[in-house]
Amino acid sequence: MIIEPETPFGQGLPKGAGSASPQFALLPPMPPERNPEPESAPVSAQPLWLAVELPHLALDALVQTGSAASKPLVITEDSARPRVHDANRAARQAGVRPGMALADALAVLNAAIVLDYAPEAIRQHLQTLAAVLLQFTDHVCPEPEERRILLEIGRSLRLFQGTTALEARVRDTLRRLGYTPRIGIARTPAAARLLAHLRHPARPLDRDMLRRTLSPLPLTVLPLPAADITALHGIGMERIGDLLRLPRNDLTLRYGARLPELVDRLLGDRPEPMPRFHPPETPAFHLEFDQEVNTTGALRFPLKRLLLQLEQTLRAGNHCVQGLELQLQHRDTTTRLTLERSQPGSRAGDWLELWNIRLSRLELPAPVRGLRLAVPRLLPTGADPAELFNRLEGTHDEPGFLARLRARLGDDAVLRYAPTLHPLPEEAQATCSLERFPALTAATTPAQRVAGASLWLCPPQPSAPPGPLEWLGRLEGGWWTGNDQRRDYAVTTDRQGRLCWIFRDLRSGQWRLQGFWG
Amino acid sequence: MSALEELLAHPRLWRGRGTGTPAATPTRPSGFVQLDRALRGGWPRGQLTELIGAPFGCGETRMLLPVLAACTRERRRIMLVAPPAAPWIPGWRQLGVDPERVFVIRATAEEDIVWSCEQILRHPKTGALLAWLHGNRSAPLRRLRLAAGASDACAFLYRPPAAASQPSPAHLRIRWRANGDRLHLEVIKFTGGRVAEDKPVAIRRDDY
Repeated sequence: MIIEPETPFGQGLPKGAGSASPQFALLPPMPPERNPEPESAPVSAQPLWLAVELPHLALDALVQTGSAASKPLVITEDSARPRVHDANRAARQAGVRPGMALADALAVLNAAIVLDYAPEAIRQHLQTLAAVLLQFTDHVCPEPEERRILLEIGRSLRLFQGTTALEARVRDTLRRLGYTPRIGIARTPAAARLLAHLRHPARPLDRDMLRRTLSPLPLTVLPLPAADITALHGIGMERIGDLLRLPRNDLTLRYGARLPELVDRLLGDRPEPMPRFHPPETPAFHLEFDQEVNTTGALRFPLKRLLLQLEQTLRAGNHCVQGLELQLQHRDTTTRLTLERSQPGSRAGDWLELWNIRLSRLELPAPVRGLRLAVPRLLPTGADPAELFNRLEGTHDEPGFLARLRARLGDDAVLRYAPTLHPLPEEAQATCSLERFPALTAATTPAQRVAGASLWLCPPQPSAPPGPLEWLGRLEGGWWTGNDQRRDYAVTTDRQGRLCWIFRDLRSGQWRLQGFWG
Repeated sequence: MSALEELLAHPRLWRGRGTGTPAATPTRPSGFVQLDRALRGGWPRGQLTELIGAPFGCGETRMLLPVLAACTRERRRIMLVAPPAAPWIPGWRQLGVDPERVFVIRATAEEDIVWSCEQILRHPKTGALLAWLHGNRSAPLRRLRLAAGASDACAFLYRPPAAASQPSPAHLRIRWRANGDRLHLEVIKFTGGRVAEDKPVAIRRDDY
């Protein structure tokens, strides 16, 4: 085996030379001693697949209200003869098994809750989880039929420091969201699926190990039609190893192309196309209850689960949110609650605190059957790390602050005025962009000072002849633009006590109100 | 909790030796000797100050100009929320305010105004907030009080005369009234402070 010199762990280099070389200066510190197992071999180039199987997804997706934990619960598949899809612990202890007829299950159970299996809801759940798992790799492939998600982790291993650590993180993430995953890791997606399904602890990273791992497994675990399995049993084959030993061409002749293709995919001799999952533009999170919920207090725990899902999804996409919408689903109607924060963020704890405040003041109009958390708008990346630093320094992101004001009030609702050189007060300032303020050349021009230091400007409007006046000065200007103005400025107090900033137009002799002095 | 603190800080409540004097609120000098004396140092920072009165334009903004000029000298911002007229920047500039740091927020709905004020007060670069509220309700002010407490900006809320009869969480409430060439300021609530004299503070309107 030829070891390439640029392999990340520098296996071919003499000890000490690799860690001191400058091109590794920015990398995280290397492990002091190398694991002799092939796990730490340079595998970053080749694909490695992690399969997550969620056998109890239908159960996990339900929120079990506290009292129902001990009550048997059965999820049935809707068909001509209803069968048990999954059952909770209480029901399984009573003897209910998936695949059982519902009538048989009900015969052994006492006052069970029976719910229908909703494939569409399960598919959505799986997509949510796929979006969550995008934080570990960019190539995620959900398989809703088998309630399984496949992740290509070959290129993520260095970042997450090896398969063991990565697997633990995936498992931990899913557990915290309330799911019970089975995980398998192998060189090929097909083998990873098998290992996940069997809860096999082996992590075969190369072809030989994979072969050794698969060989002792019984043929029945292969995803093959029952007829093929019987046929293979018929010729005396019991284990996958027996199948692997047969020449492929003969297999093709005897059983068609399906069997050798499966073998090739298991071992990685033939690549299996895996579509990439793209998360939806605006994610939504959904949970249903096994029973109707009557108090807002009971909503907190499921809401926390939704917010954790949100946090993980946002982390995967490097997004954050400023507003959320929570829909409480009743039997016929939906209550919509919205919450907007002053600063965007993704942390579930922060959001939960706000929602708790909100929910504690709410009176439920009807019992709640499900919760749905919708994100009206995802904010672009980068805001979250900035938030981290800002929190440390106690400052806010500058553009974000004004952007939030503009986002809510409108683009022209936030403005600044820059002085111009024009002598006429109504022309002496112009709105300017928030981003750039023109460099101020000089102080106020003498012509502008003639009109006094008034504070407020109104559009010029006719004014009644004033009472006692305090004269400010005479302004003549604008003749070069054709708008020739000659005005005498003064301040006067009107009957209501206002300090009016007025002028007399010397041409017409009329008094006009220019603004307010105070 | 804040209600309790407010109660304990009440000047008529005597709590025994040493505990009776509340911690002094940081202030900004108002620029008027009589007013500084009445407010024990100047306009409070990190607190809401209500200026109650009508109509707009009697000199109630001008009396804040020393504070506003001091804010921009410290390179902090002046935020005008929902002012009834446009500020005439050359005038502000002649009075020592840097126009680059004066922002105007246009809003009409009370809810938007309060929300903007909250955002502004939470921003550390805000030196002074001047907001014109037209509603009489005081409930939204509680949020503003919290936001103000987290900042050290001066928050001035202009409110209509009818608001004077409503209870309010503001730290300082002043009713102003134009009278001839003076502006009379009557302190109607001053948390932790003594309403020093019964007669209002009068500021000459042509002094500034």
